[in-house]
Amino acid sequence: MLYREAGDFKSTYAADQQTFPIRSERMLFWMAMAVAFIAMPLLLGAYPEGSTYWVKAILLPFLVWSMIALGLNILTGYCGQVSLGTGGFMAVGAFACYKLMTAFPDLNIVICIVLSGAVTAGVGVLFGLPSLRIKGFYLAVATLAAQFFLVWMFNKFAWFYNYSASGQITAPERTILGIAVTGPNSAPWATYLLALTLLFAFAWVARNLTRGRIGRSWMAMRDMDIAAEIMGVSPLQAKLSAFAVSSFYIGMGGAMFFSIYLGAAEVTEAFGIDKSFDALFMVIIGGLGSILGAFLGAGFIVLFPIFLTVVMRDGLGWPTATVEHFQIMIVGGLIIFLLIVEPHGLAQLWRLTKEKLRLWPFPY
Amino acid sequence: MNAPLKTADLRASERFQMTAHQDGIAKGETLLAVENVSLSFGGVKAITNISFDIRKGEIRAIIGPNGAGKTSMLNVINGFYHPQEGTITYRGEKRSQMRSTDAARQGIARTFQNIALFKGMSTLDNIMTGRITLQKRNIFWQALWHGPAMKEDLEHREAVEHIIDFLEIQHIRKTPVGRLPYGLQKRVELGRALAAEPALLLLDEPMAGMNLEEKEDMSRFILDVNDQFGTTIALIEHDMGVVMDISDRVVVLDYGRKIGDGPPDEVSQNQDVIDAYLGVSHD
Repeated sequence: MLYREAGDFKSTYAADQQTFPIRSERMLFWMAMAVAFIAMPLLLGAYPEGSTYWVKAILLPFLVWSMIALGLNILTGYCGQVSLGTGGFMAVGAFACYKLMTAFPDLNIVICIVLSGAVTAGVGVLFGLPSLRIKGFYLAVATLAAQFFLVWMFNKFAWFYNYSASGQITAPERTILGIAVTGPNSAPWATYLLALTLLFAFAWVARNLTRGRIGRSWMAMRDMDIAAEIMGVSPLQAKLSAFAVSSFYIGMGGAMFFSIYLGAAEVTEAFGIDKSFDALFMVIIGGLGSILGAFLGAGFIVLFPIFLTVVMRDGLGWPTATVEHFQIMIVGGLIIFLLIVEPHGLAQLWRLTKEKLRLWPFPY
Repeated sequence: MNAPLKTADLRASERFQMTAHQDGIAKGETLLAVENVSLSFGGVKAITNISFDIRKGEIRAIIGPNGAGKTSMLNVINGFYHPQEGTITYRGEKRSQMRSTDAARQGIARTFQNIALFKGMSTLDNIMTGRITLQKRNIFWQALWHGPAMKEDLEHREAVEHIIDFLEIQHIRKTPVGRLPYGLQKRVELGRALAAEPALLLLDEPMAGMNLEEKEDMSRFILDVNDQFGTTIALIEHDMGVVMDISDRVVVLDYGRKIGDGPPDEVSQNQDVIDAYLGVSHD
């Protein structure tokens, strides 16, 4: 009886256009948020010995990748522009964050992360310019050039990594209200809460952008670009704003990836082409053009391999090497299976489930 | 599925007045004039030296056999193609090279021969997209949403609901348009063009592929739009019965040239027009 809309009437357009139009769905959402924001940090704070693993291996990667998937989903899912430059844009965010943190030691880490997003947005617009002339696979190749160029640039010019001997960038310790959130002494629960808060705020912004005029101009560009142009949607504004917003999110994701999650990064290893593909898998499997899809996709790609490892290694007691092979095979197989069964992704599965739930248990 | 909304008032169209694009042009005066326009693609001449005008408040039909240059003519009018020769005067101003987005801002909206809806979006969102040139809030207000951006969006939603009522498509408001049958898609496309509150509405074969009942519905909508909103309409149509019934004046094209222009009954008596449609050789 959790999912019922009987008696839940809308009498204003505002009520009709809510993100969660059904009351029980809204309650479920806020309960989940209460658990994530209050219960989870308390739990992590209460058991510091186990919390490091949970935060470092499960929660932080999920949150950070969700942010990145959100960004790519805006570009690919909403505006229909394929990008393989995600890893490169993450690197821009990470290096911008590093330079800001080291150049302005007093600057709050949240501001650093948001500014890194802004820097990446600028770079994204620059690499988005080809999209005004080319589409589809050709654009994918053009963004691939961005990936390789940016990684090469961060390797080549030592200024970016402050001339450190190893070529690595390392996040210095930064605090919020006296609690370390970056660096080796950071408390796991605090890093989790920071990442969660940023993600929550910007997921809300993403939802707002996609439901209004700008979101509609992106989707119009995706579905039928010539008609959109004749309706008065400027391709220049729509495409470049999609690149800007998308890169903003990916840049913030990259900054969080480096400062909160990894703590130290080497550009070729941390922001290689495989990261671009991971992000693309997330948005395709999660569901193109869906905010929820970004989270589901990130969850699937990040968490499912961990789940498999735990089951096979700890549950069945198989050797680690075997587990690793099986894990890659199973995840790869599942990706293909999902694409065949539900090409619109996990978000569409959830939508269909909701349709069924509305009628359950009397489907006629 | 759709909860009842307060404005579901069947006579809403009477209360709803289109406000945008009010110009000083009186009914019956020239809204758009095409003079000596020629358009060619490489060596292919699509339009040769065509002149005609569209008067404010009328329904102007453009007819002709396949390949006569009708759709090219519409594309010239809304700035998608740029003619090599000739001038287009819109609202008394001579138009230079313009992009189609500018034409949209000046109040020219259109539908397409092959439906060009945004397939992934709902009916409501499709029609809301028609109002994109009327929405002004920038990206920062949009990001915050609650406040000015939402207020603006809801105002436009209300206008769109009037159009939805007018076209009698309330039941498919939230349905993705890709799932709709052909006739309804055509109607949604008309709604999307109407949402822009155009001064000049271009319809490219609004009744192609429809059955008799759907054609009657669509004719009624076209006449009602013209009558209630005072929208000037230029339409391309192959069904001569419909054209002769609903249009005020007809221009006939054949092989990119104008062969007839005038009221329907006069045009239908024109020997050149009869020849063009029956395929009589010209020598």
